[in-house]
Amino acid sequence: MTGRTAGALVVLASALVVASCGSARRSEPLVGAWRPSNAETAQGERVFMAHCHACHPGGETGLGPSLNDKPLPAFLVRLQIRNGLGAMPAFAPDELPDGDLQALVAYLRARRSSGRGG
Amino acid sequence: VPARIAAIALLLACCSGCFRLQPSAGGGQVRFTPPRAVHPEAVAVPSGYRVDVVATGLTFPTGVAFDDAGRVYVTEAGYSYGEVWTTPRVLRIDGPSAHTVVATGARNGPWNGLDFHDGALFVAEGGALEGGRILRVTLDGEVGIVVDGLPSQGDHHTNGPVAGRDGWLYFGQGTVTNAGIVGADNADFGWLRRQPRLHDVPCHDVALTGERVRGPDALGAGRGAVETGAFAPYGTALPPGSVVRGAVPCNGAVLRVRPRGGAVELVASGFRNPFGLAFGPNDRLFVADNGYDDRGSRPVHGAGDLLWAVHPGAWHGWPDFSGDRALDDGDHFVPPGRAAPRPLLARHPSRPPRPAAVLGVHASANGLDFARGPDFGFAGQAFVAEFGDQAPAVGKVLGPVGFKVVRVDVTTGVVADFAVNRGSANGPASRIGGGGLERPIAARFDPSGTALYVVDFGVLGMTAAGAVPHRETGVLWRITRGVAR
Repeated sequence: MTGRTAGALVVLASALVVASCGSARRSEPLVGAWRPSNAETAQGERVFMAHCHACHPGGETGLGPSLNDKPLPAFLVRLQIRNGLGAMPAFAPDELPDGDLQALVAYLRARRSSGRGG
Repeated sequence: VPARIAAIALLLACCSGCFRLQPSAGGGQVRFTPPRAVHPEAVAVPSGYRVDVVATGLTFPTGVAFDDAGRVYVTEAGYSYGEVWTTPRVLRIDGPSAHTVVATGARNGPWNGLDFHDGALFVAEGGALEGGRILRVTLDGEVGIVVDGLPSQGDHHTNGPVAGRDGWLYFGQGTVTNAGIVGADNADFGWLRRQPRLHDVPCHDVALTGERVRGPDALGAGRGAVETGAFAPYGTALPPGSVVRGAVPCNGAVLRVRPRGGAVELVASGFRNPFGLAFGPNDRLFVADNGYDDRGSRPVHGAGDLLWAVHPGAWHGWPDFSGDRALDDGDHFVPPGRAAPRPLLARHPSRPPRPAAVLGVHASANGLDFARGPDFGFAGQAFVAEFGDQAPAVGKVLGPVGFKVVRVDVTTGVVADFAVNRGSANGPASRIGGGGLERPIAARFDPSGTALYVVDFGVLGMTAAGAVPHRETGVLWRITRGVAR
């Protein structure tokens, strides 16, 4: 890793911290109903509910940190899901096939950009 | 190099949330000073619905039911975690601050749940001191015992009940322990000193792996360190291959009995704390089951609460699975800094079924009901009351979990908030202000199906010394669609 790359990561991480200051709430009672706009996000929603909702209920803070306010690049999301990080477990392809992972990332992005509540 | 280290550290911090470094931030970790403010406008519901207050000042309410005339009844538990004892009661709600005491119980709460069937009310008596019972309460206050001697003196109690259209009365029986092994956490609950020989009773014969936990004697009986294994009293560990005989009634089960009494039958096993029971579409029985805690001698990390469509006769996974995933599957349930929970059963009866939905870890998914006709909307979906986390006693959380009512599409497992407190973050009103929900513990539609009643247990604080419940802070809410009544 070059000094320039490391610097870019510092800037990126700092931007993430700043961006994380927004509300993670996406509750239907607060921001209105959200419906999947296509088959991929519908699949991603089901994957999220089966594997992610327990620790990140509705993408908000719970056992784990909130997701709705974390604008991580898709490759970092995939990296973290496949390898785990800290207290988060790893999800291998046999339990989360690539297609499900792709749909999950699409769902997370869609929810992140939907209305914010509070 | 320093820039590289800083970048990686910052990225990891962003991505992981620094779970091990952050303090617990559970919804109950707040100092509360009575009285409780109650403001319906602080509760957000979807557009077109409204929230009203039906009754306030209740002490540890747990259930709601309606008689043939549509009159509203509520149970008050008579016991709360924190070892606080009051008088268990069934109340008829006559107005916002008016009620009639229909029946009272002895010091054997908590009275959990309530149902009306064939002219009488049915209550699950938790049985913290004398064992669990199912009670039949007539509308003029006569209390009869339908069944007693249920194994209910541990962490979790006798729950429900709900009458089926098949003429049986179904109820849940929780487990004695968190994850099968009695430990110091049970002394913290209070019951281990009362019942030092108490342990879980399996529903079927089980062969043990011999897994055991060694630790200081929490009873201070001069034994130094003690070893404890599964399905055995504190300080007892059975060798590998030992078979523990099953019996009915048992722990971690859905059971049934005739409303006039008789033998208890096993419906299904392998639950942990099957608190809420309700019949859904096509008369299918559903159960809201409180998942494992990250505490005690066999802590389990990251196990969500489960909504089950009950599979009659099947084993649903406790104490070695959470849903259809084994507790030693990869790193899914490993408490930070600890080892993965190892299996307790040498042979599993079967692979557990897949739950209908997975709810928040420590959400304490409790009473539930199903929307029926088109009037209320979301027909066929489950409405589940989430009592809310009891962190840090159940394990650390980074933010409040639960403290709301969610709806679940049981055909897809998709969960959505239905009633939540307004604010920039989720949590009970005692934490975030506003006068909204504290701890929803039951949700039930009135006989017309047009109003969802939500029983709110009231303020239950959590401190390092344990749970701190506050009397007379319980509320009965009503959610309707369209024009106010």
